[in-house]
Amino acid sequence: MADGSGLSGEMRVIEDAERRGRGGRWPFWRPAYAHGDPLPKLTCQVSRPAYRFDEGEPLPDEYKELLIKMLRHEGERAGNKSFLGLMATCLDIAEALFPTAEAKLLKAEYLAEELKHAIMFHRIAVGLQHDFALRDVPYAHYAFHLPRETWADDAYFHFFVDLNGAFHARDWRESSYIPLAKMSATVERDELGHSEMGYHFLHEIVSDRRGRELARRLLLKWYPAALDMFGRSDSRNAPKFIQWGLKSVGNAEIRQAYKTYVDRKLVALGFEPPDERANRRFL
Amino acid sequence: MDAIVEEIRRAYATVGITLDAPAAYGTYYRLLCAGCGRMVGNVGDHLLPGMAAELVAEQFELYASGLLGCPCGHQSQTTRQLDTPRWQAARQRFDA
Repeated sequence: MADGSGLSGEMRVIEDAERRGRGGRWPFWRPAYAHGDPLPKLTCQVSRPAYRFDEGEPLPDEYKELLIKMLRHEGERAGNKSFLGLMATCLDIAEALFPTAEAKLLKAEYLAEELKHAIMFHRIAVGLQHDFALRDVPYAHYAFHLPRETWADDAYFHFFVDLNGAFHARDWRESSYIPLAKMSATVERDELGHSEMGYHFLHEIVSDRRGRELARRLLLKWYPAALDMFGRSDSRNAPKFIQWGLKSVGNAEIRQAYKTYVDRKLVALGFEPPDERANRRFL
Repeated sequence: MDAIVEEIRRAYATVGITLDAPAAYGTYYRLLCAGCGRMVGNVGDHLLPGMAAELVAEQFELYASGLLGCPCGHQSQTTRQLDTPRWQAARQRFDA
């Protein structure tokens, strides 16, 4: 039940729990947003109708189909067994490969925050189509399945893959689907923080010579996968997403903005960004 | 996905890593040291065809030098048996 603050009672409890968890390095988004918006604005360059749809309103068939397709890819739903499976892999890694007790605790905070998203997206799913809420949708993209055999792999996973989520959530600020637009700022901020957590771990890893060599080699595995995550530049569906106001820009544009961002961070780590066409599967 | 899982299993077997039974609803698998059974990582079953063998082959030097693999050294020893000169070169390169 809403209490006038704009938050339901349940979400206030979660907000309170989150607030009590803040301290030390967590959450990583805090310093990232301290000096303004860390992510680039994604501006739609084409003329399109200004659609706005709220939960419970009838949705055009194509719109609903595209929205569900997008949310299937996003995957962070409480009722998605495959998402819970992915989270379990993060727990396994935290238990088996953690370098320090602090790193292990940071991973626990990460997991808690992803489970919060799972509740938020669950609510969207229920509001959209009841049977979608419990649909198991394995992550289709290979980036979610790459082997993680060291803390450095896991750090790249967070740095690149969570950042992909942050960029998409950044785009949802302008979404024509109001429930998605409303939660976009929280999801963007948290995902950016998860990426910063991975970047923090990378910083620690590259501080010694062997760690730097390991990270340099593993970058060749993760960089092409990260760029591939945005899909093909000539996607036939992208213009439809843009027309309906579900996305602002096409795959090539958001990939380029992402690449500019990660390249700058990689250079700051002392790495030369790999050739953007090497080992790519989806150009 | 069975064919991909088999590919992953074969690829990791070459460096002394066993693919465990599916974990957590099927999509992901733990990677276990074939020498001592310790968990050394995990992998999902939606890799693209041919990708597992490629990734493992590219990581040969990392296993050889001990930058990847189990602290018990089983993967390093396995890569040594596969290609001793390459193993030695990797050990020198990475100061192992």
